[in-house]
Amino acid sequence: MTTLAEITKKVRAGERLTAEDGLTLFREPDFVTIGQLANEVRERLHGDRTYFNRNMRIEVTNVCMASCLFCSFAKLEEGMPGSHTMKLEEAWRELEIRMDDPPGEIHVVNGLHPGLPFSYYEDLLKGFKRIKPDVHLKCFTAVEIHFFAKHYGMTNEEVLVKLREAGLDSLPGGGAEIFHPDVRSRISNDKATGDEWIEVHRVAHRLGIRTNSTMLYGHIETFDHRVDHLLRLRALQDETGGMQAFIPLAFHPDGNGMKHLPAPTAADDLRTLAVSRLMLDNIPHIKAYWVSSTPKIAQLGLRFGADDMDGTIIHETIYHAAGSSSPQGLSYDELLRLIREAGRTPIERDTLYNVLKEHPREYVPEAAMKVKDRKAGRHLQVVG
Amino acid sequence: MAKVVATRMSSPVPVDPRLRVAGVQYLNARPLYEGLADEPRVRLQLSLPSDVARRIAEDEADVALMPVAAAAAIGDIRFMRGAAIGARGPVRSVVLVGERPIDELEEVSLDLSSRTSVILSRLILRKLRSASARAGEPRFYGRGPADAIAEVAGKRGALIIGDAALEIEGRFPFVVDLGEAWRDWTGLPFVFAAWCGRAGALSADDERLLLEARERGLARRDAIADAYAAQTDRAPSSLRSYLRDAIRYDFHDAEREGLARFFEEGNRAGLLPKATVRFFDDDRRRAAPQATLDGLLARAADGERLSAAEGERLLTEGGLFDLGLAADAVRKRKHPHDVVTYIVDRNVNYTNVCTTSCRFCAFYRPPGHAEGYVLSREVLRTKLQEVVDAGGVQILLQGGLNPDLPITWYEELFTWIKREFGLGLHALSPEEILHIGQLEKLSTKRVLERLHAAGLDSVPGGGAEILVDSVRRKIAKAKCTSDEWLGVMRVAHHMGLRSSATMMYGTVDTARDRVNHLVKLRELQDETGGFTAFFCWDFQHEKGTRIESGDTGTHLYLRTQAVARLMLDNISHVGASWVTQGPEIGQVALRFGADDFGSVMFEENVVSSAGTTFCMNAEGMEKRIRAAGFKSARRNVRYDWLTEPV
Repeated sequence: MTTLAEITKKVRAGERLTAEDGLTLFREPDFVTIGQLANEVRERLHGDRTYFNRNMRIEVTNVCMASCLFCSFAKLEEGMPGSHTMKLEEAWRELEIRMDDPPGEIHVVNGLHPGLPFSYYEDLLKGFKRIKPDVHLKCFTAVEIHFFAKHYGMTNEEVLVKLREAGLDSLPGGGAEIFHPDVRSRISNDKATGDEWIEVHRVAHRLGIRTNSTMLYGHIETFDHRVDHLLRLRALQDETGGMQAFIPLAFHPDGNGMKHLPAPTAADDLRTLAVSRLMLDNIPHIKAYWVSSTPKIAQLGLRFGADDMDGTIIHETIYHAAGSSSPQGLSYDELLRLIREAGRTPIERDTLYNVLKEHPREYVPEAAMKVKDRKAGRHLQVVG
Repeated sequence: MAKVVATRMSSPVPVDPRLRVAGVQYLNARPLYEGLADEPRVRLQLSLPSDVARRIAEDEADVALMPVAAAAAIGDIRFMRGAAIGARGPVRSVVLVGERPIDELEEVSLDLSSRTSVILSRLILRKLRSASARAGEPRFYGRGPADAIAEVAGKRGALIIGDAALEIEGRFPFVVDLGEAWRDWTGLPFVFAAWCGRAGALSADDERLLLEARERGLARRDAIADAYAAQTDRAPSSLRSYLRDAIRYDFHDAEREGLARFFEEGNRAGLLPKATVRFFDDDRRRAAPQATLDGLLARAADGERLSAAEGERLLTEGGLFDLGLAADAVRKRKHPHDVVTYIVDRNVNYTNVCTTSCRFCAFYRPPGHAEGYVLSREVLRTKLQEVVDAGGVQILLQGGLNPDLPITWYEELFTWIKREFGLGLHALSPEEILHIGQLEKLSTKRVLERLHAAGLDSVPGGGAEILVDSVRRKIAKAKCTSDEWLGVMRVAHHMGLRSSATMMYGTVDTARDRVNHLVKLRELQDETGGFTAFFCWDFQHEKGTRIESGDTGTHLYLRTQAVARLMLDNISHVGASWVTQGPEIGQVALRFGADDFGSVMFEENVVSSAGTTFCMNAEGMEKRIRAAGFKSARRNVRYDWLTEPV
């Protein structure tokens, strides 16, 4: 077993960490020390810069053939209570009603619906682009792409090319779960395997389509499985360089097949962010996904290796079905405040990490400067 | 002088180029400051010992002739080389007396006016008793000199200080002169008081000025003794010899060693904060009087007492991880077993009727309001039975200031709870105690005595908010002043009741206010030792309150808690406020100085009125404690472990 001191030395020298190093990092009880080390790397790469975007999420269907144990939408058939498939007009309307303050990105992730034609998805994308030609469409996880290929009798490449022609810009990182077959066969045995997930991303990268990547942690997997997962992603990135960001996703137990398991705690959330930053030396961004971990932990994550807060999101449903207590969306100003309170500089980006707006790193007052006076409604100025 | 001028510029009053010197009007101090009276470069302020320490702490004086225990309590203090009030053997004016050998005393009256002498006497008593195989300490009673002398009889002795000690020379058969006892024990001189101030407050020129005054003063010792003898009708020869032979005015390496030993022994015995003896000229030799932030953090992590200015610097400049790791180091030294405790209790808010209308509170209803309530016995019975069923050991009972509830209502309630459920009663914050006192026209002491007799076990530290009156007036005009709050705790502690301490920040308070709050808690703790734990949280900003919130982010919470751990070197426990921060941040806070996870949550009404609602059972607490890398143990209100740590 390597020691923390040895790892620290390697990190400072910019050396690559091994699987053994990863295990040491996961097992060290003092997660704050791990965070500090990850923070060094984060600041070396990005300084105080912290990225976010204006995005919205749409799940057009929650009907799903797969039976993932961790999913509160598992094995949901059309017509069952709680099932819902949007008409294309409904999905487009979600964008139309927001056109006075439009999102820069639409993030679409769905169940594996057996009864929809492939053209449904193509039309979906085309419709979005018709309403807002410059909107970035980050749609369909590798699991969905893999499903489309099998279901509609195409290769991964054919699926991706067709969808790109319809407007697809990039792929989200979902569906990765845990790659290792020992775990994957137990929690989601009827969808793309780890190798198949990686293959979809490989093809996407070859076509010039950028992707993100994720890991669902905190259920039945061991630290070995987590390290294995990170190393597989690192190997793919060495090969293609096509992944922009990695997003660790915390398992939420409500309403799914693993509800007997405890959810991971904040210590694990922060540690996993930190270890990801340290192990994934070739993926530029680590994202603290506030929907999964709560805004407060995500905010703290900005000192534990993360440099990205995801976005405003608007109407998240997947985690909320599994009992997430996070709000369904954050306003632009709320995101700015979260980032600034963490002492970081907010940078609004597009999906491909082009800078849209650099916000000044404003000082957040340590105390409210105003007391609201009940009677007169005037503000008493307090000299701070 | 440039450096010194800069320090003085920071004071709020117009710049006065004179050196601000504070001193006490004791006979034995006169040779050191008399020569300053006509010195135009000096502004001399003579006052009581307690006030002298305050002047240095609050930057009203540059240098003070201060008892060394008071100097240690301020933190990051510098002493002036070359002048002190000390002894190299018998001092005559600080003595333990009795009718029996001093090591056999079971009760000792203490003149509490000099903490240095009190601590020295306690160290000497422990030493003497351990030599004759007696464990522990005698019981102590605070007394003025006249009463203390009058009460000496049998196994009751007394610590007598100053003039009174010189007056009773020869009266008691058994006397231990503390200067002599110290030398016999350590072989070192003792320093009772010395010139001291903040780092950088004294230039080499200033020191020369004070040392020249010392020379002039020492040459006038006989005249000083004679004048005092005439004033007080004493024998001049005895006073002359006291100032010439008993009191030593030197402060060099041997005295430095003696003082360092005193600080070390006092700290080991839990009577003094950890402090180092540093001279002003140490800094000048190093030419770096302004400590670096790293140096400050290292000293903080080492458990050394920090001054208010240093605390403020940490709170405003300290990095999240640096503060966290320093606080974690302190936590680990104070609680080396890596155990985090929690308590199974229940927060019961017996009434929401309240007359104070605090701006930050969404819970209260004014008297006569339709939504006002007082919990009935039936409702209480259900709630308390649930506590007992869940293995709970106490209830936290707090409520509004309800003008319709007489003290007998509380007494009957407490008696009933004790009889029916046998639960610990962590009840009534200082505000409520004061309210009952006003309502019943009883002293705080009497209220606490009656409630204690009815079953009160400990006093929760709620309502402290920020113990700075300018802040309190803005957010809670009708509430007690900081001195009143601290006064209730002082009385409770002296009665043997324990209490927690809290801080609610993030309304109109500044970093300086927060640090001053911590210093006030630390001072009271130096005096009483009665605070078991400290908890802090940010103002919970929601509907129903009338204050806009400032930065209430998680970073600020963790940094604030960490600074509190570093500042409150004399409070044993720091608890993470998961109820306000959420279980997630609460867990993270365990690595930022906390060693306690507070209470499981059945219900809580005050914070949740403002919109924050979190619940956690024992299982959830233990899981989070372990996931943060600790063992967990249940505790009672005194922080004794009730279960084996697992």
